[in-house]
Amino acid sequence: MSAVREAVVLPAIFLTVALVGGLQIDARVALVPPSLFSLVLATLLFAALIRGGVVAPDRLLHSSRSALQNANGAVVLVSAFVAAAQILSMVIPRSGLPLFFADLFLLVLLVNALVSVRDRVHLLRSLAVMLGSALLLKFVLLASLSAPADSRTARLLFALFDAATFGSIAQEAQAPAAGYVAFAAVALFLIGVSLLPAPPQVRTHTALSRRD
Amino acid sequence: MTRESIVRGVGLIGAVVYAAAIGWLYASQPQTVAQVTGGFASIVGAYSIDEQAFADGLRFFNRDQFVEARAAFARADPAERGARTQYYIAYSYYRQGWGRLHNDDALFAKGLATIDKAIALAPRERLVVDDPGLQIHSADELRAELQRGMTHELSDWNPLRVFRTRK
Repeated sequence: MSAVREAVVLPAIFLTVALVGGLQIDARVALVPPSLFSLVLATLLFAALIRGGVVAPDRLLHSSRSALQNANGAVVLVSAFVAAAQILSMVIPRSGLPLFFADLFLLVLLVNALVSVRDRVHLLRSLAVMLGSALLLKFVLLASLSAPADSRTARLLFALFDAATFGSIAQEAQAPAAGYVAFAAVALFLIGVSLLPAPPQVRTHTALSRRD
Repeated sequence: MTRESIVRGVGLIGAVVYAAAIGWLYASQPQTVAQVTGGFASIVGAYSIDEQAFADGLRFFNRDQFVEARAAFARADPAERGARTQYYIAYSYYRQGWGRLHNDDALFAKGLATIDKAIALAPRERLVVDDPGLQIHSADELRAELQRGMTHELSDWNPLRVFRTRK
């Protein structure tokens, strides 16, 4: 991996994700730190990335590397972990049943990825699908259910839906920009993760399978 | 020094500065671009309030034109980094919200939030304003007065309350 990628590109990507991932845009703009559960999920995601050969920590931190190289590697690992926690926190709904089920599904998916996925490409693909689905759920499906209604009939239907579900589904209304910001953050995070240094044998294996 | 070492060194410093800036943004929760730029400027000691707008604010404040005073103070201190300006804004909420029979809790709550900001900005959290036009000179007293004004107790029904004066 080149010095520019390790020292400049990856920290810039992950720190930007850490910043943008915490943006909560509604009536006022707030920067929200990741929840405790997001930190747990990020730990699982990081373990899955290491086991799946997406990132090789020994290519970032090793006794054979100089102190400066190890410092750059540590920055990449720490910023990637914070970005992972922040991106998971961002795509999880804020309250009610959607929060509970999204937490549960992400936990199951990440544990499954941790124990079963051993291939870099498959893991990156399943990570993209997982984050994309969560993004759609929160910023498209739930946002449309929670958006302020235009007509009286729509307002009445929303009120009935809210009453029927005991207010456990509807979320706080978000600004339209929130979804675009989330999409950009997820895309940036996936680019950053795909740029992380992989173990040498994984690269060889991928190259061989490509040749086949 | 090789080119790679320079790239790595610059990258490390840049990452640390960027991470510190992100940490500051999370801690201070700025709401406007002016607050962001003013915050960074005050960190390097390059922030100053607009004295002309501050003088305008004081003039409005002394004429009991509190809404106008707050607008001028906000213009003087767009980043909300000046302890003295924030003190006057909090005082304007106190004076506007004060009532002989009852206080306006919403204005007092805003005053309390602003005086907390002023205290946090003051060196060693001690803020004293020597203005003969004010009856409360320290941020701690103003904070206590705002808190007292928002507390509902039996003495609120004391008819002698109508004789108390605004500070």
